[in-house]
Amino acid sequence: MPPPPMELIDDVTAEILLRLPPDEPEHLFRAALVCKPWLRVLCDPDFRRRYRAYHGAAPLLGLLHRLQVLQGFPADRFASTTKMPDFPRPGSHGRHPYPLDCRHGRVLIQMRRTVGEMKLVYLVWDPVTGDRRVVPVPHIDSLIETAAVFCAADGCDHLDCHGGPFRVAFMATDDDEEIVKASVYSSETGVWSAPVSLGSDCECYVKHMEDAIRDDVFRIPYVQPRRAAVIGDEIYFTLRQGHAIVKYDRANNCLSMINPPLQSAYGIALMVLDGSSLGFVYTGGSSLYLWSREVSSERTAEWVQCRVIELKTTIPVVDPGQVPLVVGSAEGVGAIFISTDAGLFTIELKSGRVRKVGKPGVYFSVLPYMSFYTPGIVSLCFSVVLNFLYSLVDGSVLCE
Amino acid sequence: MASAGSGDEKAAAAAMITLISSDNEKFEVTEATATLSQTIRHMIEDGCTDGGVPLPNVTSKILARVIEYCKKHATAAAGEEGSSSSFSDAAFLEVDRAFLEELEEFDDAFLEVDRATLFDLILAANYLDIKGLLNLTCQKVADSVKGKTPEQIREMYNIVNDLTPEEEAEIRRETQWAFE
Repeated sequence: MPPPPMELIDDVTAEILLRLPPDEPEHLFRAALVCKPWLRVLCDPDFRRRYRAYHGAAPLLGLLHRLQVLQGFPADRFASTTKMPDFPRPGSHGRHPYPLDCRHGRVLIQMRRTVGEMKLVYLVWDPVTGDRRVVPVPHIDSLIETAAVFCAADGCDHLDCHGGPFRVAFMATDDDEEIVKASVYSSETGVWSAPVSLGSDCECYVKHMEDAIRDDVFRIPYVQPRRAAVIGDEIYFTLRQGHAIVKYDRANNCLSMINPPLQSAYGIALMVLDGSSLGFVYTGGSSLYLWSREVSSERTAEWVQCRVIELKTTIPVVDPGQVPLVVGSAEGVGAIFISTDAGLFTIELKSGRVRKVGKPGVYFSVLPYMSFYTPGIVSLCFSVVLNFLYSLVDGSVLCE
Repeated sequence: MASAGSGDEKAAAAAMITLISSDNEKFEVTEATATLSQTIRHMIEDGCTDGGVPLPNVTSKILARVIEYCKKHATAAAGEEGSSSSFSDAAFLEVDRAFLEELEEFDDAFLEVDRATLFDLILAANYLDIKGLLNLTCQKVADSVKGKTPEQIREMYNIVNDLTPEEEAEIRRETQWAFE
């Protein structure tokens, strides 16, 4: 039988290489060195599109962290969770860089404008492409804040939104007025929106503040420096007192409060469930509790406990009396971060698979970096080489 | 299609398809088995299967294996459909699970072939557009590639390295981490 035509071989090679796992990117890079046809398949933009679609969600590549004020500063590094080395952080020596969020392939970092200067700027950094955009700081005098960076391209599946338009949402406790404010920045207009505040028009918030004053706890609504959950036009973040959840509705440009399913949990995380509903996850004893905010047919929303996962047999601990702590979630891959005295772990909700992703340490809110990392988009030099190889093979254009 | 017959035999006979391998061997299979292949399904829909379906890209040895796969999976699919109406939910789930386990065992045993056969099966599954078989065989190769060096992959699958040492060195330098 004569050898099958070249296209057929390429088709079949693609079918095989599609099935290499995205959270172990080394396999694709090794495969790229097998021979020219494999290299050509891997670097073909069409293959890369198929690869992303086949796997559906960008894999976890690395972690950054946020800590509470009293916990000090987190380590200044991008900690890879794969064989790949850490992505080099943008030159920030002496500028006190502080990561605020990771989402849709981007990292949001706050840093001093220049060494020795107190004025701050934001940097939106794409570790995979190396792209960096400077964003001015919002006009809110912040005592404590959280922020979210997210893609703003219409109809985007967020599998490959490198270089596209983005937004930065900033939610903070105003230092002067002692109220919660929020504002959003558009990469297209280059300006921040006028801040909105959480006020007495929100019944739930009025009750929350009355309770806080009666119990003599916090008179100021402190925003927790915890990663927010972004669902469409809505951004959810938490306050320190009772993990009260604040919703920033960008479509209606307003803030409102939602009571959490449980106020007394120690470690919690907000998460996006099934791409569209708000999740609230916490640990109690050795169990993990997952709640979902379900909207009924009458358009009223309520919390429904959707899962309880026993962690005793799955998450390692050194001291058996240790209580595992929820410190974050990774949407898309459907994983929850749990810290114990044995390390930092992810547990995948669908498969129950547990993986160690960090050493034991102080964790408060994990900023998970998810993106596809495949041959062909990696570095300029690599693509130059590939383009050259391509021209030798069939003269077609290799890289997007 | 044959003229309207009353007996089951006639209906079954009408639903038989003849597949002809590249070495001219003929295989009689049911339409349910044959239509696991999207390529053949389209030919049946277009009414061009009279006198058999020639498959010039598939040898009799490989076609026999492909048919074995399709028969098993077509039976499983039919079994599932049938069972859903005649069992209670719990019993149906039980049957469903048993089916899945049996299929998994069958698939594992099916993949116990040498690499040349595995590749021929992939080419056949791709040509005949049999999604389940393509997934099964490609995943097997992908799993075998994981954790291997480029040299080991070339050796395993008899692939000629057509990169020049300079090209190889340059690419390797850019992504050294992947080889450590």
